[in-house]
Amino acid sequence: MGRNPSDLILFIGKRLVQLVPVLFGVILLTFFFTHLDLTNVCNEWYPHAGGATIHACEASVNQPLLNQFFQYLVNLLHGNWGSDVYGAAVYPAIAAALPATLELVFASLFLMVVVGIPLGVIAAQYSGRWADHLVRVFYLSGWATPTYLGAVVAAVFLGPLLGLPSGGYFSTRAVPFPQYTHASILDAMLAGSLPYTVDAIDHLILPATVLAFINMGIATRMTRASMLEVLPLDYVRSARMKGLSEFWVLYKHALRNALITTTTVLGITAGGLLSGTVVVEEVFQWPGIGQYAYASIGGGSSVPNFAGAIAVVIIFAIAVVAANLIADILYGVLDPRVDWR
Amino acid sequence: MLEVQHLSITYTVGAGSFPAVTDVSMKLYPGRVVGIVGETGCGKSTLAKAIPRLLPEPPATIGGGRIIFRGTDLVHVSKRQLPMVRGTGIGMIFQEPLNSLNPAYRVFDQVAESIRIRHFREMGYVKSFQGGEVPFDYSKRPTETVSSSLTKPFLPAGTAGEVVRDRLRSRSDYRREVLEYLRLVRINDPETILDLFPHELSGGMRQRIMIAMALSEKPSVLIADEPTSALDVTIQAQVLTLMKELIEEVQTAILFISHDLGVIAETADEVGVMYAGQIVEYGPVAEVFHNPRHPYTKALLRAAPNRYKSEGPLSAMAGSVPNLSRLPTGCRFHPRCPLVQAVCREKVPTLDPIDGAPATPGVAAHASACFFQKEVPNLP
Repeated sequence: MGRNPSDLILFIGKRLVQLVPVLFGVILLTFFFTHLDLTNVCNEWYPHAGGATIHACEASVNQPLLNQFFQYLVNLLHGNWGSDVYGAAVYPAIAAALPATLELVFASLFLMVVVGIPLGVIAAQYSGRWADHLVRVFYLSGWATPTYLGAVVAAVFLGPLLGLPSGGYFSTRAVPFPQYTHASILDAMLAGSLPYTVDAIDHLILPATVLAFINMGIATRMTRASMLEVLPLDYVRSARMKGLSEFWVLYKHALRNALITTTTVLGITAGGLLSGTVVVEEVFQWPGIGQYAYASIGGGSSVPNFAGAIAVVIIFAIAVVAANLIADILYGVLDPRVDWR
Repeated sequence: MLEVQHLSITYTVGAGSFPAVTDVSMKLYPGRVVGIVGETGCGKSTLAKAIPRLLPEPPATIGGGRIIFRGTDLVHVSKRQLPMVRGTGIGMIFQEPLNSLNPAYRVFDQVAESIRIRHFREMGYVKSFQGGEVPFDYSKRPTETVSSSLTKPFLPAGTAGEVVRDRLRSRSDYRREVLEYLRLVRINDPETILDLFPHELSGGMRQRIMIAMALSEKPSVLIADEPTSALDVTIQAQVLTLMKELIEEVQTAILFISHDLGVIAETADEVGVMYAGQIVEYGPVAEVFHNPRHPYTKALLRAAPNRYKSEGPLSAMAGSVPNLSRLPTGCRFHPRCPLVQAVCREKVPTLDPIDGAPATPGVAAHASACFFQKEVPNLP
């Protein structure tokens, strides 16, 4: 039957090929939305630049849109993501910011999995009883919290209360080791510095918790619903009849099957987590792509940076598509009834 | 070994309550098969699931009676202790082979899990259910060779004799033992089957694997709830032959539940006939089937299609199984009974021994719950 590792590689390869048209579409839409409705672009893009830059800009802007798009695409494929108002290239800034954001997203995804999924199991196990209602109150309050509110409350009140830092990456601005990966915990671990690793984790706890708390509802609710679907099935009863304790019946036999649906939903949520990072990173001064996005669209007192904004949208689109791809693959791996072809 | 005394089970759905099982008693002994036969909805599956306390409570409630296993009443055993009874103490083969295996795990993992549960309990790594009395004389220790241990009963740690603390078994040890059990249930090419998922197997194969899983825990009591009903006739015959052979090999007490009189006649030593939640007739199989003493048994036997005679139409029993929420007064069979008298509508008959039934020690005497059991043989 169709389940050997070579088939899985083929299955992943096919999904990757399907990614290409999606990405092209995303770049196309983003480019045209940002370029179509602007008049007098160059003065807005380069408000402080001299005449030479403006002239060069106008020369390129006055070309037909299709030519501009083609030029942008060629540049993109050469690794040139454009530059901001002051002439600083976009690519290095994003390359430094993305790992930090991924660190934050994976940390909150981890919390969602280790806290949200067991909560869903507990809710299903005691469905209709007080434990179920308590879990529902918990995840609905997260679901109902606006990101900015949750982030501000955590940064202003929770941080001092728990003695946790509520801003930045490390306690000191200058770190005595090179930041190869730009993910704080990884860098500190690579440098072999235990105090800095602990410091990095301390800084990660609050933003990751806020992000997880707000998005946890989906994991808990999906787990609860699919557990309730699985629990009355015959194979759960036979697992119980084998003499397994309730813990193993729930977490080994029932949850294993309930996870198939939960994983799919989590994959889609993981893409959505990125959008949450914009606010959370700004509040917690996390040097990630969300903060970069906020600055690029002129948030705070910064000057708008169109090349940067387009780049961020493309990165977010890639991340959402990639998260869906991973969910797709996991679905195929978790459910043995899915054929890999 | 296992004794059920006056067990009553009620389902509560909304405002209504349905007495699914009323005042059922029976005894199981090692190496002997007790069959339960009856129409759909007579409570036989409820009875089967109630013994290892597998019924979801609520909606089901055990209204009264006792389930004595190893000297302990299972009705009052705590929720934490129940898993220790299941598997090695009381095993079960279910009616629905198609959905009874976990679709996410390979055959090997599921059978090995059963073996691991038994192994851990034998070695005392986890607690096993002791009960109030020691059922067997466990003077022998488990031996190293797997094949010879196949036929030995489950040995709970610390019951008697010496407990061998051996090394943790490796995957290949489990693989070898799983293969032995797959061969025991006559699966061809077990090495290939081992690595397949349940959805890649046929119904007959899955049922055999369920049987292998139940047997691999060496239960003292095995409950088979319509193990062959969902299978094709040819596979049914194979599975039945297999079970009969296994009953002889592994000395287990078996409760065999079926609606098929032929299957019961072939496998069981004793049979109980159930009607509307009660056992109306009980006794040795040959006695009950050749000399029925309850009008319901008589009618049931007459309604069964005879393989050798094809003349005449099939006879059907008049009336239908009563609704459990509106049971008739007195004898529950009286609205359909040809022998009905005034007393049947008022008084509930008890399961009384038949006069002159041979009293063999260790074998249940033929008994019938009918006021006119003497007149039953005269019925057409």
